Formats: sequence, structure tokens, C-alpha cells
Amino acid sequence: MTAALAKYAAFSRVAIAQVRHERGDLAGRVAFFAVILGVFSSLWRAAAEAGLPMGADPKQLLWYLAITEWITLSTPQIHLDIQETIRGGDVIYRLGRPASFVLGELATGLGLLAVRLPVLGLTAVVCAFWFTGWVPPAATVAIVVPFGIAGAVLLTALHVWIGLLAFWMQDVSPVYWVCQKLLFVLGGMMLPLHLYPEVVQRLAALTPFPVLLAAPASFVFGAGLLAPAALAARLALWCVVVALGMRWTFTRAAAGLTINGG
Amino acid sequence: MQPAVQLDRVSKSFRVRRARGGGLSARARDLLRPLTETVQAVDRLSFSIAPGERVAFIGPNGAGKSTTLKVLAGILRPDAGDVRVLGFVPSDERQRLAFHIGTVFGQRSQLWYQLPPRDTFALLGRVYEIDRRQHRRRVDALTALFELEALVDTPVRHLSLGERMRCEIVASLLHSPRLLFLDEPTIGLDVTAKAAIRDLLRTESERERVTLILTSHDTGDIERVCTRVIVINHGRLLWDGPVAALRSAVIGNRALEDAPLDEVIRALYAHGARRRCTS
Repeated sequence: MTAALAKYAAFSRVAIAQVRHERGDLAGRVAFFAVILGVFSSLWRAAAEAGLPMGADPKQLLWYLAITEWITLSTPQIHLDIQETIRGGDVIYRLGRPASFVLGELATGLGLLAVRLPVLGLTAVVCAFWFTGWVPPAATVAIVVPFGIAGAVLLTALHVWIGLLAFWMQDVSPVYWVCQKLLFVLGGMMLPLHLYPEVVQRLAALTPFPVLLAAPASFVFGAGLLAPAALAARLALWCVVVALGMRWTFTRAAAGLTINGG
Repeated sequence: MQPAVQLDRVSKSFRVRRARGGGLSARARDLLRPLTETVQAVDRLSFSIAPGERVAFIGPNGAGKSTTLKVLAGILRPDAGDVRVLGFVPSDERQRLAFHIGTVFGQRSQLWYQLPPRDTFALLGRVYEIDRRQHRRRVDALTALFELEALVDTPVRHLSLGERMRCEIVASLLHSPRLLFLDEPTIGLDVTAKAAIRDLLRTESERERVTLILTSHDTGDIERVCTRVIVINHGRLLWDGPVAALRSAVIGNRALEDAPLDEVIRALYAHGARRRCTS
């Protein structure tokens, strides 16, 4: 058990070392994040000043966006690395090792996440405070942070699952972009779900997307989309679903390798 | 003594899709009812390799070499026949076997491109569950042997192909495998780098008694590294014997007695193809 943990922790450590060599990418994410928050801060302030119905306090709306973007921008696009490994043929090395390919990729993704979450989390707090002059209560932050991290972990696993589709597809980007669009609407990436029509809210409840973004971020409005216990249960349920999905996909892929050969 | 590798009438086939040709209706039928055909990649192949042997496993493109290597590594499951590698049944015991075998694919990489090789070596040390102190000693010994001390902390993207390949081989030897699969390990290298890699492989095999199975289209690899050649074509065994006896394989062709080895091998493939047509 300890050896297995050390094995996958080593994948995370190498990924962390990789981030050190790709500081430009992280700096780009920080800059992009700050610009997005700046733009939306101005937009919502202008909307409030024009007397448009907002459905929520503009300050809370900006903090909501800071949290959803913190989760989204921290999550590595690990599906692209997996796709490259499979298409380039380097997967042959990974399959011949005494380690699970799927867990190795997931551990790599979590390593990248371990660096990005604190850096982008700090960016979120500094920028959101800068633009609003307000900070949510400490009790809210104490709930948001663990659920935000859990959401990012689940989203990383979802990206690994998408990457595994490269065993069949030349390019998994279309699947990723469909997932992103669903995350945008059903996950409430830009606007909280309670501002959407009821039919969208009902549809969203059947998918994993709200628990990834909207539910953790909605705590800034006071009462969250889901109570913490219910959110934890939903997250656990979707973790199981994604884990089973990854396992099923990889098992099928191994059989596919036999069919494709070469 | 237990053989390092033993194949007994091993077969492996694949089902591949075949297009019906142009036209919209043909494409629609391809989508709804695809045509498939069976390709026999390995056909009742049998051979045995003793521990410490250095064997060239050669054949023309599509002969079934890569499929056989993947069967030996446990990545593919054979349709029929028995396979034993270091006493393990590869397709059933792949993870356990993985601790004892190493692989080098000349056209693939296991090194993290942005990082120095030392980081990949550290990762592999953990993956193969090597004791930290033992791992450090092994890295030091192999980097000295492969003259990589000055390069082991340089990001892989700054290394030349020859330097990278030496690092790839070190990465494959870190866990002291008893069997090493090498697929075109010198492809794309200049003559000096090729000579260095060949010498190092031979030295390491002799020193540690590592069994080598090498596939290559470069006859220099075969002559300088291996003592035995197994030739396959269409998934079947064509010839198996010492490298020195390869010239006599093309029976009755006196013109080839002093010919370069690649000409001999070409003739052997053609001879095998003719024999197959006749049979």
C-alpha cells in the first residue's frame, strides 16, 4: 500500500517539477484570470448602475465567478497529454510498467493541480478583493476551499476520462469542448444556476457539472445550492461514477489494442 | 536451466476493417455494416531463448515482430499457444513480469521532455519500487558507464538524439531487468553514436547477463550486438541460428558468400517468400 502510494506520489512530484519548468504557462493563467475578473467587475457594476435586474449583489457575483474560474483554470488539460501519449505511441512504455496507466495520469494531473490551485487561489482572492473591496465571511471561505479543491480533483478525473477516448478517436478536443460548454451552462461557470430557467436547473441537477463549480461557489450567497453534507454526498457519488467510467473505458481500450495491434 | 523466453506455437490475429471503396452508398454501408477481415500477425511461432543470449529478431515490415514483442511483454494476449517469459505467463502476470523486463523503443520516448533525465530516473525508481540508496548507486553506475554525468541534469529537450537514446537505455536498465527488448535502438543515430550504443548494450549484457532481444533493420546492430538471429516473415519462423551462419542460410547462392549482411537478409526474405509461395 505504502509502495503504491509512493509510486503515484512520484508521478505527482514529476508533474510539479514540470510546472517549475513551465512558469510562463502559469503566469499566463494568472494574467488571464485577473483580466476576466476585471472585465466582469466593470460589466456588473455598469449593469447595477443602469438598474438592470441582477438577481444578486454584484460583489457576490464577482466572488462567485472568482471561485468557478479558480476551479476551471486550475484544472490541467491532462486529456491533451494523454492524447499525445496514445497517438505518439509512447503509451507502449507506460503499459509495460508495473503501474496503472490511468492512476499514473491522474496522479500527474493532481500534481499539476497542487501547484495551480494555491497560485490561482491567491490570484482569485487578491483580484476579487481589489475589484469589490469585500471579502466573504471566514466561515464561507472555510466551506468553499475544500469543496473547490474537491471539484477541481473531480474535474481533473473527468479530463483523464476524456483523454482515454484517444484510444479510439484521433482528436478528443470535440468531446472536451462539448464538456466545456456543458460546464459553462449546466455548471454555472459565469452565472449562478439560480438565475437560469427552472428547466435548465432541473437538467443540471442530473449531471455532475453543478457539483464541480456552481455548488461550491454558491456558498458566497449565504445559503448554497446544496447543503455541505448533500454536496459531499453528490461529489462522492460522481467520483464513483467517473472512476467506474475510467476503468470501463481503459478495459475496453486494452481490448481495442488487441484488435488494432501494430 | 529455465529459458528466458519460450514460445510454443503462438498465434495472434487481428480483425481489421476494409473499406468497400468510393461512392456514397459504399461509405454508408461501411458505416452500418463494416467489412472486416482477419490478419494473421503471428502464425504458430515457436522458439526458445536462453538467459544471457543476445538475439536479433528480424523480418520485413509487417512480419509480426512488434506483435510478438508485445505478446512477450504481456501487452497483447495470444490467440493460441503458450508463452513463458522468465517463468511468467505475460498476459496473465504482466505487472509482475514488468519488474523484470525493460524496453527501449527507438522511435518512442519515456523521458519527460521538459525535465532533466534525473527526474525521470527518480520516477522510475519509485515505479519499480527500488530502494532509494540502491537506486542512487544504480543511477551513478549507469550514468558513469554511459558517460552521462554531465547530461543527467540537462533538460531532455536540450539533448541530441544520441544522448537522449543513451538516457532512454539507462532508464530501461535502472531496475536491473533480466530481459531487455530493444526495438530499433539506433534508428536515426550517426555512426559514432550507433557504435557507442552497440558497445554499451553488449557490455551491459555480458556484465549483468541481461538477455537481449533486438529488432532492427540495421545489420550493424545485428552483427555488433547479437550472437543469434531469428528471422520471421508473415508471422512464421523463417530461420533461427547463429549470426555467423546466416550467410549459409540462403542455400545454393554462392554469389552471397562475401556479400554484405543486409543483402544476405534481403535474399533470405525473398527465399522465404518463394518457399512460402511454393508450399
